[in-house]
Amino acid sequence: MTAPGRVSRRTLLAAAAAGTATIATGCSDGGRAVQVAVVWSGGELVPFRAVVAGYGAPVHVVSAGNDIDAFLRARQLAGTSPDVAILPRPGLVLEYARRGWLSPLNPAPGHGVPGSLAGLLRGDDGQRYGVWVKAAHKSLFWHLPSMLPQPPATWDELVLLTRRLAARARRDDGPAPLAIGAADGWVLTDWFENVLADVAPDGYDALAEPAADWQGRPVREALDRLAEIWSIDGAFPGGGRRALLTQYEESVIQVVHTRRAVTVFEGDFADGVARSFRRGPEEPATFRFPGVRPGDGPLIVGGDAAVAFAGSRAGVDLVRWLTDAAAFRPWLRAGGYLSPDVTVEPDGYADPLRQRLAREMRTAGTVRFDLSDRLPGPFTGSDGVGIWPIMQDFFADVTDGVPAAEAIRRTTKQLAAAARDAGGGR
Amino acid sequence: MSRLPVLGEPVVLDDVGPPRRGRAYPAVGASAALVLPAALLLGALVLWPVLRTVHASVTTGGHWVGVTHFRAALAAPGTGAVVGRTVLWALLVPAVVTGLGYLLAVASRRSQEGKLVRLILVVPTALPLVVTGVTFRLMYDPDPSRGLATLVAARLTGRTGEDVPQMLGPGLVTVALMSAFVWAWVGLAVLVFRAALDRLPSSLADAVRAYGGTRRHVLWDAQWRPLLLRTVAVVFALVALGTSRTFDLILVMAPGSVRDEAAVLALRVWQTSGGTTTGEGAALGVIWLVAVAAGMLVAALFVRQAWPPPRAAEPDPVAAPPPRPFRLLAAVAAMAWLVPLAVLVATSLHGPVDAAARGWWSTRPSLASYHEVLTGSELWRSLGFTLLLAAGVTATVLVVALLAAYPLAGLTGPAAQATGLLLMIAVVVPVQVIAGPVNEVLGVALSSGTARGLVLVHVALGVPFAVLVLRNAFADLPTDRLRAARLGGRHWWGTLRRLARHCRPAIVAVSVLEFVQVWNDLVVGLLFSGPDSAPLGLFLAGQTRGFVANSGALAAGSVIASMLPALLVVLARRHLVAGLVSGGVR
Repeated sequence: MTAPGRVSRRTLLAAAAAGTATIATGCSDGGRAVQVAVVWSGGELVPFRAVVAGYGAPVHVVSAGNDIDAFLRARQLAGTSPDVAILPRPGLVLEYARRGWLSPLNPAPGHGVPGSLAGLLRGDDGQRYGVWVKAAHKSLFWHLPSMLPQPPATWDELVLLTRRLAARARRDDGPAPLAIGAADGWVLTDWFENVLADVAPDGYDALAEPAADWQGRPVREALDRLAEIWSIDGAFPGGGRRALLTQYEESVIQVVHTRRAVTVFEGDFADGVARSFRRGPEEPATFRFPGVRPGDGPLIVGGDAAVAFAGSRAGVDLVRWLTDAAAFRPWLRAGGYLSPDVTVEPDGYADPLRQRLAREMRTAGTVRFDLSDRLPGPFTGSDGVGIWPIMQDFFADVTDGVPAAEAIRRTTKQLAAAARDAGGGR
Repeated sequence: MSRLPVLGEPVVLDDVGPPRRGRAYPAVGASAALVLPAALLLGALVLWPVLRTVHASVTTGGHWVGVTHFRAALAAPGTGAVVGRTVLWALLVPAVVTGLGYLLAVASRRSQEGKLVRLILVVPTALPLVVTGVTFRLMYDPDPSRGLATLVAARLTGRTGEDVPQMLGPGLVTVALMSAFVWAWVGLAVLVFRAALDRLPSSLADAVRAYGGTRRHVLWDAQWRPLLLRTVAVVFALVALGTSRTFDLILVMAPGSVRDEAAVLALRVWQTSGGTTTGEGAALGVIWLVAVAAGMLVAALFVRQAWPPPRAAEPDPVAAPPPRPFRLLAAVAAMAWLVPLAVLVATSLHGPVDAAARGWWSTRPSLASYHEVLTGSELWRSLGFTLLLAAGVTATVLVVALLAAYPLAGLTGPAAQATGLLLMIAVVVPVQVIAGPVNEVLGVALSSGTARGLVLVHVALGVPFAVLVLRNAFADLPTDRLRAARLGGRHWWGTLRRLARHCRPAIVAVSVLEFVQVWNDLVVGLLFSGPDSAPLGLFLAGQTRGFVANSGALAAGSVIASMLPALLVVLARRHLVAGLVSGGVR
């Protein structure tokens, strides 16, 4: 096919397309709003809409769902990128920046995020291509105080508690100790990250590097610890098979509503579900993911970063506005929002939980960013892809009685292979 | 004199066959110009993307790499299972649908309750597949306090909820998906078989009996050989092609942990490529395309079976209804088909908390879920957008297809066969395979406003089928009608308008099918919709992310989304069959 032929056909097509489409839809743009693509849906989308309602110009928010990467890649190809996207993974920000899709950004003066987070959004050229607009505290257990008056302070206490309650649950004499939304792969990777940050603090960040060793000691030790607690018979309501069909929202419901489980490990964002499905006046309480020593648990943080696509002046302006401490005030007041900006006064939070978490984030010695969100390419995981199904296989193995050593061997092998395929790992 | 109708032959697959009589009228002068819009759309958004996919499957960055991508794609863990599962879908499901469809069509003939039975069976065919997925996921919920099927299984086997086999678990998820698919498609098979059976002259059976034929002989000589073989091939092929739609079902029904166990090629291609072109994704796509094309050709061989067209049989007023066990079977099937619908409606009639926490049978109904979805702006937005989109696309497809079908109907011989074959291929190309190249074309053709892109893709995907149906309807018009129209119309458009008036069943069928197709779509919306467009299927599928927590609102949204397509298909069901089966009511 010759180039001129192609051009002329495409030109023709463009003409025909424009004609047909205008006649056909009649819903083309007029006074175009600033477009923002987000991963959020439902309970998070509503308050975010309230936030952008405070912006001077009309803003159109689109929920792109879990597959925001595929969505944005296709839009970029079609030349129809939104002005702004809010991405769940720093890896994506850097990837897009490398391809020249993004505009460099400057946050509003006074925007201050913890040092370990800020560096994740700088491109190879040292410019900043994204700004954090939302943080998630991912080292929490949720429980009802009446069901569990004395939360465990160390990992060993948690294991003991799980054994004790599981024995009771096996006799049908009480709720299971742990609810877990294993149908969502990220729940399992969050477990893994917390344990990893605790057993091998030095090895944690190395796994996000290109030369990561997924068959090394830190990974094996972390998996061994997970196996220790996951393999307890009766640990999960309905057993391991059932847990693999339980999504994260349902695992929270099992604790706060149906009370078939005593605790659930889940980020701070679980309180939205907890609020909708609460039964009776009792508020669920939280405790930190316990570490080896009391009071020294890991602190894993996730976050969402805003980026502006190249060529969109309106997008750069909106992102800058979003980093202003005042912009997210409606969401702050509505609850369910944790700011990555440590200059936001904890007193500004309406809900006491976020207030406490914001203090923890300020004072924590090391804040670690979610590891799976930093992994390269498809390894980062989505339903049926990357690290998610690998962790689910591991979960299925250890809850099904496969010896821990064997399950760990299989899993590390799969992890190493997946990392290699994605262009990272040894 | 009007040409005798050919036995209940749906036009779609027929067109690969020999040219039929009555096409020998001259094409209008400006035929090339008339075909141009359709040709441009198909060339740019179907043909070129297919070629580009083939090209991408053997190159990297423009350099020839041979079978490297194929090897990599096939060596990826689980690909063998994925291909095997896709083949299983394409063979087992059509077999079941065809068999059930025939049985139920026979069982519901000529009886009082038969009409009602058929009506019940047809409703699921009109629902968006997303809604079917939601419905069956509600039924198969692994928790016996919510999932009706799990509860019944636990009661029947006397096991506890934990030990009951889980329909959504890794072992049975494909069975669960297939059951949902069969539920949704049997109605179509029943309609086609019924139209075919009605066309069978009862005198043929009498003749066989008069020569001492037994019941088996009647079935063989008076039903199977003249008609059923052909109809079976058509239904089988249609359903087999339809199994590429499982994509929607898998996205909605399979929880993340069993995606791999449920995956078929459609899903794998999408997971590998998304909306872009990648070598491995293209390689999988090419394998899939070849399989689909081969299957289509095999089906076409059966459809070509020649048989002299009998007279259109008047329904025999004294013909006896089917025997009692058969009628009972029809009634039982209708009841069974109602259960999922009832589950969906019952769940929608419970508030979000009740729907998530316990079964719909254990609490009082409320309208809270409807209140929630109807007071939010999102559902209204996507309803409005989808309505505009579906109406716009339908109108455009109809115009483009009418213009193209008119001159194409005049072709005879190899030219007619070649266009038929090309159109058929365009009909069966799975959109996941060409998503990347289509996005590239849209990028060149349109710089902004993706609602337009979405319209274009829908139109391009809808045009080949519409042209096929309309071309055959035109070609089947009796010569006297044709002559009258040519004499009466002053210009070609006058003639076209007069002719179109005679093809009303085909036009109604094409319009309704296109409208419903766009309304029910998920995959095109998923791959091509942009920030300013939120089609209904995508909206509902997005809510399935937290399925249990959203089940009340999801069920309510599903009921609302299903009303219009269900109503359209039920009202137009006669036209649908008549329009699709050439030689229908004129």
